[in-house]
Amino acid sequence: MLIVDDHAGFRGVARQLLQGIGRQVVGEVGTGGEALREARRLKPDLVLLDIQLPDLDGLDVAASLSSDPEPPAVVLVSSRDASDYGPRLDGCGALGFIAKADLSAESLMALLES
Amino acid sequence: MTTLQRRVIQAGMLALIALALASEFSVTFHLPESVSWQLVGPAERPWYSPLVDILPGAAFILAGLIELRPRTRVGLLMLGVGVGLLLGGEGLTLMLARALPPQIVLGAVVIASSVWPVVLLHLLLAFPRGALASRLDRFVVRFFYVALPLVSLLALAIMVVEPTFGIHSQLLFGVATGAALAVELAFLLIGAGLVIRRWLLGGRARRRSMSPLVLAMVPYVAVILLSLGGIVQYQIWRIPATYLEGLLMASPLALVAVPVGVWIGLLRSGLDMSSVGDLVVQLSGGLVPEKLQPALAQALHDPSLQVAYWLPAQGWFADLEGSRLELPTSDSERASTVLGDPAGPVAALIYDSSLRHEGQLAETAAAAVRMALENARLQVQLRAQLEEVRQSRARLVEAADSERQRVERNLHDGAQQQLVTLLLSMQATKAEALRRSDRATARLIDANMAELKQALDELRELAHGIHPTILTQAGLLPAIRSLTDRCPIPVEVKGELGDDRMAPPLEAALYFVVAESVTNAVKHSKGRRMSISLDRRAGWAAVEVSDDGVGGADLSHGSGLRGLTDRIAAVGGRLEVKTAPGEGTVVHAEVPCE
Repeated sequence: MLIVDDHAGFRGVARQLLQGIGRQVVGEVGTGGEALREARRLKPDLVLLDIQLPDLDGLDVAASLSSDPEPPAVVLVSSRDASDYGPRLDGCGALGFIAKADLSAESLMALLES
Repeated sequence: MTTLQRRVIQAGMLALIALALASEFSVTFHLPESVSWQLVGPAERPWYSPLVDILPGAAFILAGLIELRPRTRVGLLMLGVGVGLLLGGEGLTLMLARALPPQIVLGAVVIASSVWPVVLLHLLLAFPRGALASRLDRFVVRFFYVALPLVSLLALAIMVVEPTFGIHSQLLFGVATGAALAVELAFLLIGAGLVIRRWLLGGRARRRSMSPLVLAMVPYVAVILLSLGGIVQYQIWRIPATYLEGLLMASPLALVAVPVGVWIGLLRSGLDMSSVGDLVVQLSGGLVPEKLQPALAQALHDPSLQVAYWLPAQGWFADLEGSRLELPTSDSERASTVLGDPAGPVAALIYDSSLRHEGQLAETAAAAVRMALENARLQVQLRAQLEEVRQSRARLVEAADSERQRVERNLHDGAQQQLVTLLLSMQATKAEALRRSDRATARLIDANMAELKQALDELRELAHGIHPTILTQAGLLPAIRSLTDRCPIPVEVKGELGDDRMAPPLEAALYFVVAESVTNAVKHSKGRRMSISLDRRAGWAAVEVSDDGVGGADLSHGSGLRGLTDRIAAVGGRLEVKTAPGEGTVVHAEVPCE
């Protein structure tokens, strides 16, 4: 798995959470540009991708990754609500969206299983 | 020209006409055979000869006397043509030849006959102002004033001294008459070319006064061309050559049309001046600034005329709307007249450059409307200031909006992010407590997490109220739908706003109208349903929020609607509120957009 978030504290908590449900975290990056580069290099099966990134928009990063030949599954996260993004969330090619406040082993598993 | 000079000219001209009339009488009834033969040959004079001799010249002189004014040479030029025509007449020539040596009389006749066509060209090129405008015109006219009489006199001199040259005389005579013909032909072609060029290059105003004169030349030119062409081609046309020669001889009669053309042309110029008088009358009846430019354009017969008002604060000219206008440069197709002191002008008229040749017309019109222009200028100044205020208000709203966005972003990326991370940490701590079967700690953490989630919700609502992310992210319609999804009263959203996003300030202005109206309806209307209508067409976007509540909202209380009215006005739109008691409340806002 690859964790993409510019907030180091969140990346640490997320790593803990993912490892808790038996996932191996192959990398952590803080920008959209690094996310694209590392996702293509490490080829993770899942990318936990924050929408608010300092350089690129997470939705654009997701759309770009989804057009790769072997795209990873992308789960978008944000400190904002899904309603803040409206129809933009539907067309970005991501597997789903989880508000950070609702992020848990259960919510992530439920999304991955769906 | 003094009055005395004018009187002398008038008397002299009238005397000349009287002399010409007398000469016709004397030639017709008392012609000495020897003089007649010597000067005009033994042919019989046609019956219309006196008319040809007198009428065109007299017409030019009479018209010239009427137009003899201090500031224009038109009258003098017409007198010149008239005198030339009269002096070239047969009757006067014969009568003078009885008193003076024939050679001197012949010389005078030749000069007069060769000069009047140049004076006529001078008139055509200088009309209606009376002065030659272009350097080329001046050069050509001066050249032919000298060249035409010179070659004609040369031909005459050779004819007179011909017998002394013996066998070479015919050759010499041929060369001299050939040269005279060549200069005459060049004069006709160049003269016609210059007149046509002037007519074509002249704008609407110049053509208006010049056209009657040019048209008046048509009969004369037609007669000349017809008779010349006919003489050459008479065998083909089967018209007896004598008829055509007669036509050529009578051709000066067609010139009578020219003074009439001059008169109509000057009348038109005069009418243009009198239309300035009409303008003054209109002004005295009160003319709003919007009508000033059309009225001036009509008075000066130039639909392209623009009025430029001087804005001292800005240091430039502007139109009625306050938009900047540049005055034309001297070499452009446009010309301008600035009113008032050059250091502090009132206004300027920008018009077709051909109006420059219409004497003082533009200046007169500008002077006539100066007071009105001064008033209009003040209005334009006011409008320009208002426009500046509107723009500065729009900039303030924009600055406030971007500040709201910045605060919202900081809340999300700062406080909210920290709290969310804390929440997730607590989740992990809770999981660890459960793993150690410490249920009491897990419950405590649960309670703290619930508190934290509530704080997060409140923070999110606060940030949303400051500036909704979805408005920036997805646009007005999704933002409105997101708003109505959270509304406790059912809201129907109707209409569309098109696929293209509007400018951010417009979207923000309309969004906050909807948000404030929905909040007010929820708080005060006691309604059960709400409806939001959206519309976008013909450069306008509109939203309308209505409820079925109690109506009768007090608009004087609270700053919400007042602020919205200002916000909508800042982007050039308008806001209306209808809130009759018992009939619900309707808030309608519309803004101009691409």
